[in-house]
Amino acid sequence: MQTEQAAYTYLDAIAAALMSEMEADPDVFILGEDVGQFGGAFKVTKGFLDKFGPRRVVDTPMAESGFTGLAAGAALVGLRPVVEFQFADFISAAFDQIINVCARHHYRTGNPMPVTFRAPFGARLRAGPTHSQSVESYFAHVPGLKIVMPGTPQDAAGLLISSIRDNNPVIFLENKYLYRRLRAPEPLSLEPIPLGQAKVVREGSQVSIITYSAYVSESLAVAEELAAEGISVEVVDIRTLVPLDVDTIVASVKKTSRAVVVHEAARRMGYGAEIAAVIGEECFWWLDRPVARIGALNTPTPTSPPLEDAVVPQAARIAEVVRKVATE
Amino acid sequence: MPTTRARRKPAGKGEPVTSHDQELLLRIFEMMVMMRAVEDRMVSMYRSGDLLGSLYTGHWHEAIAVGTASALRQDDFLAPLHRDLGAHLWRGMDPAQIMASFMGKATSPTGGRDGTLHYGRLDLNVYNPPSHIPDNYPVATGAAFAFVYRGEDRVALAYCGDGSTSEGDFHEAVNIAAVMKLPCIFIVENNQYAYSTPIRLQSAVADFAVKAAGYGIPGVTVDGTDVLAVHDATAEAVARARAGDGPSLIECVTMRMHGHAEHDPADYVPREMLAEWQQRDPVALFEARLLEHGVLDEEAAAKVREAARQKAIAARKKALADPLPDPTTVEQALYAD
Repeated sequence: MQTEQAAYTYLDAIAAALMSEMEADPDVFILGEDVGQFGGAFKVTKGFLDKFGPRRVVDTPMAESGFTGLAAGAALVGLRPVVEFQFADFISAAFDQIINVCARHHYRTGNPMPVTFRAPFGARLRAGPTHSQSVESYFAHVPGLKIVMPGTPQDAAGLLISSIRDNNPVIFLENKYLYRRLRAPEPLSLEPIPLGQAKVVREGSQVSIITYSAYVSESLAVAEELAAEGISVEVVDIRTLVPLDVDTIVASVKKTSRAVVVHEAARRMGYGAEIAAVIGEECFWWLDRPVARIGALNTPTPTSPPLEDAVVPQAARIAEVVRKVATE
Repeated sequence: MPTTRARRKPAGKGEPVTSHDQELLLRIFEMMVMMRAVEDRMVSMYRSGDLLGSLYTGHWHEAIAVGTASALRQDDFLAPLHRDLGAHLWRGMDPAQIMASFMGKATSPTGGRDGTLHYGRLDLNVYNPPSHIPDNYPVATGAAFAFVYRGEDRVALAYCGDGSTSEGDFHEAVNIAAVMKLPCIFIVENNQYAYSTPIRLQSAVADFAVKAAGYGIPGVTVDGTDVLAVHDATAEAVARARAGDGPSLIECVTMRMHGHAEHDPADYVPREMLAEWQQRDPVALFEARLLEHGVLDEEAAAKVREAARQKAIAARKKALADPLPDPTTVEQALYAD
């Protein structure tokens, strides 16, 4: 299936995928704060209430833990809820329900728990310490969750469809900086993209950048810039953190023998630490240099532009590190 | 009513036992006796070292567990906690499986992956809650939501204790259910203590049913040692929920007669309080009423007790003989297919 409209934003792609799943499966519904009449804080569900009605587009009270538990209970008796957190920052209020009710339920009981948690995350919108967080590492440590972090409109659509169809709790993190900045050049495919498959988004021979979400496009831009200097950069978009496609990462690093891991989240205990460790374990004898990691400084994300830019990885810094790893 | 509250009339003589279906009365009695027999047996198993970890019992909660469960249909959703063993039994849970859960056996409902009180079975429409309470409250709202979503007339009933009412999930769930008019019945088992914490350190309002007013839903306090009072209040709330009139809160007042768990001698509970409540054994009270109204005679009552005892003994034998899980399976089925 394809959409008719050409040129889709990242946000349009998410909306189109969600709408197509709600059209296809009467058990799929969306709930969260302001998702109905208001169309969501970022307008992902704009028009959904008119199309599907209040039974399937559910405005909840301001109660993240409560509506997360509601989604879990609905999933246990056969529905397929999609929960929208207004900001990923607020998901902390539902931590207990996600971890203790949702994540371990199947392991404990054998019952499926098909809930998708959509949450807009990330920095660079000058939104400050409690509106800019990257939350993936909190959840990556919890067995039983899947974590999906698309970096392109097409992946956002295809991976959201797979997340909704998955019988497990999936944390689907939407980079809100990309919502209206990234545009897919072609009509969007609404075919599911399997979870757990990384993608080599640019082939190269001298160094591999392993990245995800907003830093896929950043890394591609850096690769382009370095190509002009004669440095051949491969870019791997892991797309899903859990499950992680180790094979694609390993194949790339064995080919280039050099690796830089890039993400927006803080470097310390960021997901890049896991990727770097995997590369160390699987590719040690192929490596020409230690694996480099780029992530945010270990501070909250400040509001003011010069402060935020000093904390969150910038293209110039990525280029500098990749250049060094590729050539020294 | 002893110590904590005086405003409710004590149950007993003259209550309308005979207005209930005789078969139902007998079944309720049997399940209460069975809950007591299974828990007494497990206490001795705990003492002889058969169980892993601790043992949470529901002595003096029998009327609540069975009185509520007996007012529901088999297809209604139950979200029990650790003092509600009788509700599981009512749904058809095998006592040997409950014991197996406390022993980490492969035959427990979780195959030994979870243990102790975590043995709810979804095939019996019973939720298996985590240790964080009352996480089962929001989950129950979700089941109720799904029933409305699909146009079914099923309801969801969740239990929590006096301590749980202080948690955010209690508030969020009751509020959500009230706003969405979900077919939920919220039971608060007020047993005077949350572990060692007495009511006065838990809530500035001693009457938990009063809290319902803050959510705009009906709230009622019943004698939690009177199984028919619990049953009737639940039946009323269930009828309201099925009719689309939204959730209700029922506070059932009783006493936790054992420690928080069997390791806990509960020295913080005044002995006079226990002595007072000792007179209000819900199982003995109900038996006396059934005898008084001729629903049961001494001989039949003794038979029920002996049958329950034998069943508990057989369950223990089975659970002891059951295999432990195979450690090579430990990483399997983390995810659903």
